[in-house]
Amino acid sequence: MSDRIVGAGLILLAAWYGWAAGEYEAPFADPLGPAAFPQLLAPVVAGLGLWLVFRPDPEPDWTGGRVLVLQAVSVGLMLAYALLIVPAGYLLCTTILAAALAALLGARPLPAAASGAAVSVGTYVLFTWGLELSLPGGTLFAGS
Amino acid sequence: MDIVSSLGSGFGVALQPYNLGLAVIGCFLGTVIGALPGIGPVNGIAILIPLAFSLKLTPIESMILLTSVYYGTMFGGRISSILLNIPGDAPAVMTCLDGYPMALKGRAADALAISAISSFVGGTLATIGLTICAPLLASAAIYFGPPEYFALFVLAVVAVGGVGTGNPAKTLIAGILGLVLSTVGIDPASGVPRFTFDSFELYDGIDFVVAAIGLFAISEFLMFLTDREGGQGKRLPVGQIRSSFRDLIFPAATLRSSALGFVIGVLPGAGATMASFLGYTLEKKLSDKDGTFGKGDPRGVAAPEAADNAAAGGNLVPMLTLGIPGSGATAIMLGMLVTLNIQPGPLLFERQPELIWGLVAALYVSNFILLVMNIPLVGVFARLLTIPTRYLMPFVVVVSYVGVYSISNSPFDLLLMTLFGILGFVMRKMGFSMIPLVLGMLLGGPMEQNLRRAMQASGGDWAILVQSPLSVGLHVVSIAMIAAAVTFELRGRRRARAAAAP
Amino acid sequence: MTIRTKLGLALKGALVLGAAFAVSGFAGPKPECIAPAAPGGGWDFTCRTVGRLLQELKIVDRPVQVVNMPGAVGAVAFAHVAENRSKDGNLIVAASSVGMTQIAQRRYPGDADKMRWVGMLGADAGVVLVKADSPYKTLGDLITAMKGNPAVAVTGGSSGAGGYDHLRLLLVARAAGMGAADLRKIRWVQFDGGSTAVTQMLGGHIGVVTTDLGEISGFVESGQVRALAVLTQDRLPGKFANLPTAREQGFDVVGLNWRGFYTGGQVADGDYDKMVAGLKRLYDSPEWKETAQKSGLTPMWSGGKEFEAFARKSVNDLRELSRDIGVIK
Repeated sequence: MSDRIVGAGLILLAAWYGWAAGEYEAPFADPLGPAAFPQLLAPVVAGLGLWLVFRPDPEPDWTGGRVLVLQAVSVGLMLAYALLIVPAGYLLCTTILAAALAALLGARPLPAAASGAAVSVGTYVLFTWGLELSLPGGTLFAGS
Repeated sequence: MDIVSSLGSGFGVALQPYNLGLAVIGCFLGTVIGALPGIGPVNGIAILIPLAFSLKLTPIESMILLTSVYYGTMFGGRISSILLNIPGDAPAVMTCLDGYPMALKGRAADALAISAISSFVGGTLATIGLTICAPLLASAAIYFGPPEYFALFVLAVVAVGGVGTGNPAKTLIAGILGLVLSTVGIDPASGVPRFTFDSFELYDGIDFVVAAIGLFAISEFLMFLTDREGGQGKRLPVGQIRSSFRDLIFPAATLRSSALGFVIGVLPGAGATMASFLGYTLEKKLSDKDGTFGKGDPRGVAAPEAADNAAAGGNLVPMLTLGIPGSGATAIMLGMLVTLNIQPGPLLFERQPELIWGLVAALYVSNFILLVMNIPLVGVFARLLTIPTRYLMPFVVVVSYVGVYSISNSPFDLLLMTLFGILGFVMRKMGFSMIPLVLGMLLGGPMEQNLRRAMQASGGDWAILVQSPLSVGLHVVSIAMIAAAVTFELRGRRRARAAAAP
Repeated sequence: MTIRTKLGLALKGALVLGAAFAVSGFAGPKPECIAPAAPGGGWDFTCRTVGRLLQELKIVDRPVQVVNMPGAVGAVAFAHVAENRSKDGNLIVAASSVGMTQIAQRRYPGDADKMRWVGMLGADAGVVLVKADSPYKTLGDLITAMKGNPAVAVTGGSSGAGGYDHLRLLLVARAAGMGAADLRKIRWVQFDGGSTAVTQMLGGHIGVVTTDLGEISGFVESGQVRALAVLTQDRLPGKFANLPTAREQGFDVVGLNWRGFYTGGQVADGDYDKMVAGLKRLYDSPEWKETAQKSGLTPMWSGGKEFEAFARKSVNDLRELSRDIGVIK
């Protein structure tokens, strides 16, 4: 079933992709134009999607329940990290992310927090001092 | 000019204590930078350019530093591929295929040693190639015009079909989706933004590194959550090099891949990733008799590593002789040369022989340093795996994020990376392999652009694609590969049916 | 991919120097130059060279941080500055005629007046090149042949169709009296850089290249290619004095690719003036003259109000031209 859904999804993607490509026009002296290559790919994607609809593999083993919750939580944490890294600063965000992920993997609270802080400070030192790449200091709490 | 005496004086330059010291520093920093996910040769070199400025290095000293960093990152990229299944940089993607399974079997140290040795061989052979026939090769490379490049990229895309494991339709889907993703962003030929949803962040296309790190590192974490709950929390055995030296060298695989990698490296625009990928594919075609490739075959580590290091050396040929960058890394080095008031191009060999030959000698030296430095480090790196996974995995995730962010300064890239992580997880669960996707993303751009260029040159006449013997030859190889794959597939199916029949 | 680097990695000692020579030409504590391209290209060169000289001449007291922000021929950096850094008095962004063409063709999010234009330091000369063994000996030969059949020679350069390299060729053709319909028939192939285009020409894949002289001067000196014309007002000084201009061959076209900088549109007057003064000091130094000449640039100064006016005028001119030729509507 999963394969069939993906196959159908690919057909929809191909339809949109081919249609959207049709909008692109070269302004000047370009015989093939920006639309041709995507329009060449679209039918192939659709064909392979169709193949998947009719010849699906056996259903993969989707683990549900608790694992799904854990995965959703970790993805949520990662997305929040991306959104907060600039305003809240690298050190704070990274400490929380690393500690939380360790806890999700079964570390106890205290070692998880300690490892989070260690990872955060360690990478900060390596990147900002060792490699001279700037990481955001954060503006929420720094006041400037 | 007498190569031996020129090279001799080159070694005179390269072996001066100060230059030697720079090479050692460069090799070490390169290895470390290469091992960090997300920071590859391009950024490694860019990061160290300021060091060259602030130390007030002369052109030859700067080039020694930068090329040793360059070779170092090529060495270092494989470390995280093997240990963590996360490519440290683009060319190391192929090393994941067999390197990580080796590590799972407790042969991490062996895999690291094999890759170090074959990297050394590939790098050294390429440097020999560069020494002997750089000018000759440079003049051959100009016969590759848009139709020939297009044929080469078609061949590469066809070869992608042979990389995946499992359902061939899924391999093709992953590869084609990669090509689809490569069309996102501004179209260089016409300046039209495509599939960008009016977002400036997508104008430059989807960064390959962001996609690859997300697909590999983030999905690895999500996979791990599943495995752990399934009760199979894997604990990798620690590795010491367990095999004898003889079992760590694969002369045939290494030599073949080095030659292939060097040739591909010489062609501007093809690059180390394509080399490592074709090196792996060739080796799999030639010697995968028992179907062990992809399951921890050491030749699957040796071949791509030899090829990508050979390509790194090959890339220097068009850079030094024609002044054209064959890859992102050489583009930066060219920029550096120009900044130092050295005009790369056809006259460089005549005007700056001491620079060229000093540099060539330094390449030999840094290759050797890297080998000597890397073999003892094997144990140290392999011991990384003794860190309990519940601390190691978050560390890997964090380093991946910071690596990507520190380079692009774009939170958008972090979001994109997470989305690719989810995609990678779903793909792995459903039996799609991710490597074709990643390769498709890399190959799609140049494939399309060279097709467009050919058409611009011919005024829209498709015949231009098959007008030179070179492009015809490349297309014939592609067709033969497709035919062979189809025959193989059909025969396998017939045999399966025969076996199923009573 | 964008790459962020800082100058002065190892030697923090520079800080000490900074304290001693506090004669900052720029405003704030961390001068920064955005190169709106990947490392290796012209804008990257501009930032890195100027950044290095600014520090060497002690016009800034801290190393200039060079940030690569490639994308959409400069549009990504332009959008970034307009949105996030429009008041940042520490920031200059490398600019050139190539970027002005993009603005003129409305490929940037906004017009020239969104930024303050600081100054230009030099210009690279446009050249029309053919292979050494080409039958075209003069620009006239080529143009006569193209008038007979616009597709007679495949042309190419480092910009896309309608970009600055392409426009310069079309300018020459237009000056020779070719009409818009014929201009559209000229075959143009885009490559990743001027030197790539020239090597493709050496391989016989294209016949004519128009691009900047600086990047490919090695090929001219080695005699592998012939420069039919340089697109300058007068002949170049120095080693390229023997190259004929298009003007002396009867085609009144000047196609210079100048190198300069803009900064955010809301930068305070005081900061802006300091930047202009700082760049002027750099321009006046013998070090700049030497660096410029070695990399094929002709030193050329314009700054402040004068440069603002120049930038606006050149956008208008390029826009009119692009419309005339039919690159934009």
